[in-house]
Amino acid sequence: MTEPVLTVENLSVEYEVGAGRFQAVSDVSLVIPPGRVVGIVGETGCGKSTLAQAIPRLLPEPPAHIRSGKVIFQGTDLVPVPKSKLPMVRGTGIGMIFQEPLNSLNPAYRVFDQIAESVRMRHWRETGILPSFHPGPTPFDYSRRPLPETADVLSHPVVPPSAKDMASRRSQQMARPDLRREVLDYLRLVRINDPETILNLFPHELSGGMRQRIMIAMALSQKPALLIADEPTSALDVTIQAQVLTLMKELIDEVSASILYISHDLGVVAETADDLGVMYAGRLVEFGPVAEIFESPRHPYTKSLLKSIPTRYKSDWPMPTIPGSVPNLSQLPRGCRFHPRCALAKPICAREPAPESRVIGTVRESETPHKSACHFAEEVANLP
Amino acid sequence: MDAYASLPAPRRLASTAGRTLINFYKVMRANPLSFAGFVLVSITLILSAIVVIHPALIVPYSATQNTGVYNEPPTILRWPPSFAHPFGTDEGGRDIYSDVLLALPLDLGIGIGIAGISVFLGGFLGLVAGYWDKPGTLGGATSTVIMRVTDVFLAFPSLLLALALLASIGRGVATAFLAIFITWWPFYVRLVRGEVLAVKHLPYVTAARAAGVKETRILTRHVLRNVFDPIIVYFTLDIGTVLVTFSTISYIGAGILWPGPSPEWGSMMSYYQGAEPIFIYWWFIAAPAVAIFMTALAYSLLGDGLRDVLDPRTRRALTQSVTTSEPPPEEPALAKATTETSAEAEAAEESEMRS
Repeated sequence: MTEPVLTVENLSVEYEVGAGRFQAVSDVSLVIPPGRVVGIVGETGCGKSTLAQAIPRLLPEPPAHIRSGKVIFQGTDLVPVPKSKLPMVRGTGIGMIFQEPLNSLNPAYRVFDQIAESVRMRHWRETGILPSFHPGPTPFDYSRRPLPETADVLSHPVVPPSAKDMASRRSQQMARPDLRREVLDYLRLVRINDPETILNLFPHELSGGMRQRIMIAMALSQKPALLIADEPTSALDVTIQAQVLTLMKELIDEVSASILYISHDLGVVAETADDLGVMYAGRLVEFGPVAEIFESPRHPYTKSLLKSIPTRYKSDWPMPTIPGSVPNLSQLPRGCRFHPRCALAKPICAREPAPESRVIGTVRESETPHKSACHFAEEVANLP
Repeated sequence: MDAYASLPAPRRLASTAGRTLINFYKVMRANPLSFAGFVLVSITLILSAIVVIHPALIVPYSATQNTGVYNEPPTILRWPPSFAHPFGTDEGGRDIYSDVLLALPLDLGIGIGIAGISVFLGGFLGLVAGYWDKPGTLGGATSTVIMRVTDVFLAFPSLLLALALLASIGRGVATAFLAIFITWWPFYVRLVRGEVLAVKHLPYVTAARAAGVKETRILTRHVLRNVFDPIIVYFTLDIGTVLVTFSTISYIGAGILWPGPSPEWGSMMSYYQGAEPIFIYWWFIAAPAVAIFMTALAYSLLGDGLRDVLDPRTRRALTQSVTTSEPPPEEPALAKATTETSAEAEAAEESEMRS
């Protein structure tokens, strides 16, 4: 079948601080096929954001340190890429949307300058002014489906520069009208009304939702093959959250990039994602298609999480919770990391570490296999 | 695109420099105190430029010229302020107005020079120390060295150092300059490093990095640009402080000697204070004192105003120059229509009420 955009194999990331080493992400493996939206959920401190930032190698090293594993993006392993070449990797194919829209825009520049910077960077890469590290033999093809008009700006393939193009670098600087037009296109793409006015505003004059839209526009203007959204809606209030979420959902259809969507909100992930991964204490405990996981979770943690989603009726009060709290990464319990809080725990869970993720049930063609890392994955269904 | 083509074209803006100037003027106008500071600073700069280039325009006498010598006695040396001598003359018949003006370029030059060199040296070191500070790397080691050296220099008291230099290399502008400079630049290292540390962990720096922006570009465009504003404000405020310190050093006798070829406000004060009873000959000391005070005040006020000019938030609030497109021409007619209809509605309501 088609080659996956991103393959993460046994990725382990640890933080080396004064008090010792903390493994924030251990042995995570996941695959993102082209055009698919993969959601990652988990409690605070389970390593979601570390995973998100480890993929484009954004973690500050030190203190962070990728101990083992591979991050294969479009056929190239990003882990051994030397630090000096990282800027060439990051912009080319991976776009990021961050958690805090309030601080993610530089307060000193107008909206135009911010988006123009990333548009110009991409232009430089495409024309060869900026050295670019093209992972994979061919650029990623965005045309998963017929594209609506607004997404035209995203459908240009990345063209390697010809010798003739390289001849005069000076003439390849983007003309200001072109730049302006392209920036306006991206602002319209993220449904900003009156982009002409917004262009000249400073970030502090915009609301949180607007800023997040502009962040999304900036990420998209790089024409990424993979978009990593690290809790893009959690810093916004509920109504704005809904707006941004609607926008994201519409864009998922238009942009046809693969998306890694990090969230702590199961509802949000259920609406946006195709595949879902559940993280607990640095491990990916369950991974599979969203519908299947919501229907029949195969890990006791997922099951408890799903049970503790509040409904709008008060009849099930008190709300079911998971007893205990997330273990400190420096004092992980022996055996399975979830066993002290698990309703299904048996002696073997305390004795032996949780098994490798294994496929549960039959795998149908053209569907993500449902994996779980539990000794009793089959019995979870019987759990009350 | 077509939908937007029908809209009126955006209003043509002045050039970037022109817009900056207009905004600067608007912010200054909104804040009378800093406007006063701006005017005073401009005056000091213009005056010192004239004094340097063509002193005969505004300086009537040379520094040590005795203006009290006339052909017939009695010779009066200590003239109180008059039209001939606006700030009076001192006990040697020297015109204090000329001396105060002649001292202006020196004092101002020392203030701007020391603060300026400190900004560049301290700013550069602070940027390096703040941006590359990961322990265990080459940058971390450099950062530690810079900060410890800074601490050592911060430990010197400026005035005592001036006295020590006076004893070793003698009196002069160089002595005063060195004494102030050695203790001055470390402040800038600390200031810039603190600002850089605060800025470099903000999400927009990470966002730029995620977009593949190179480190050098991040450093200049995202970090330095956001550190720039507090530094330039601090620099402006600092010019006054350096000036006062320089005058103090001259006052304690380490700087410039007065009476001498080059007048200086601090040394003038020091000399006149000891030479004559100041309650009788008050004008000796009044002019240099007011000059120091006004100059230092001017730069402080300007610094406060600059803070508003540089911060986009206050600037926008004060200038209100949101660049919108021209209002469509039919708007007044529309507004008229609505008022008319509302007036009609009101009239109808009124008549209803009556009935």
